[in-house]
Amino acid sequence: MMSQEFSVHPPRIATWLIGLFTSDHEAEAIPGDLLEEFSHLASKSGVAIARRWYWRQTGKTITHLAGGAFRSAPWFMAAVVVGGFLLHGFLHALPGKVLSEVTDRYLAFWSSHFQAYMWVLNGMMIAHLMASLLVGCMVALAAKGREMVATVTLALVYCGMGGVALVGAALVWVATDRPMNVAWLLWAGWDPFAIMVGGLIVRTRRAQGRDSLPKPLGMTGV
Amino acid sequence: MSGRDYLGEFEHIILLALLRLDDRAYGVTVRQEIEFRTKREVSIGAVYATLDRLETKGYVKSRLGEPTPERGGRSKRFFQVTAKGVVAVSRTHRALRSMTEGLDLVRSYA
Repeated sequence: MMSQEFSVHPPRIATWLIGLFTSDHEAEAIPGDLLEEFSHLASKSGVAIARRWYWRQTGKTITHLAGGAFRSAPWFMAAVVVGGFLLHGFLHALPGKVLSEVTDRYLAFWSSHFQAYMWVLNGMMIAHLMASLLVGCMVALAAKGREMVATVTLALVYCGMGGVALVGAALVWVATDRPMNVAWLLWAGWDPFAIMVGGLIVRTRRAQGRDSLPKPLGMTGV
Repeated sequence: MSGRDYLGEFEHIILLALLRLDDRAYGVTVRQEIEFRTKREVSIGAVYATLDRLETKGYVKSRLGEPTPERGGRSKRFFQVTAKGVVAVSRTHRALRSMTEGLDLVRSYA
């Protein structure tokens, strides 16, 4: 019985996702509780049912942990997300400003080297992505222990804005027959992803640092 | 006495589960006890989010147990209701009893 329990593993992606959203306080207990129940359920009702249960628990648990992070420090979380939004706006404007300065100064050069100009444009898009990655890292660093909640929230804000921009561009396209700048929209769609990757990098680094510390024993709270 | 001294429904249920389980109260047993008695599916995240809130309020204290192999070498986090928590449960109970006194809930509202 016991050997069967240990040969079955819960879904790795679900376990990884849970690990991203748990605070230092819950990093041991929640994955341990889920694994314990998963093992019992797998031996009692079968692996497929246990896996489904695990995924259901993962979804609900992440929702509750994210909600809990906002409920426990609503003003702090709002400040971190708004700060990230403003920083993103500031950093995103920089590559464009630099590019326009350069193109204005060397207009004659660019007009005869169009391919180089296109290459610089692509470089600017990459610079935008790097800026988003940096913003994700900064937001995660500021959100101490709630890295993924803060960066996912900021990414969702940009997803919402991207969705509105896409609908707007589609409406303009239908109304005026002016083609959409699909390439630019696709690049902009990577922004939320880059922000989350930034959060993921900081979160992973913090988790590695936490795992290397000795585990405390004894009472907490009152 | 301020309104914040009263417990929310799930907070109340969690504290009652901790009192029932006594020194066996950790995430798995609390979740299963609530599911068994209330017949509603509860996520481990909901249990921990509420327990953390109760710990912040001083109604609950926790300690880490020894790591066990069945949990992949992870420790259990045991919870215990504090004296302040017991007072909060009693107060909420009294308030509910007082509010339901004289109401024939089964016949009138079922």
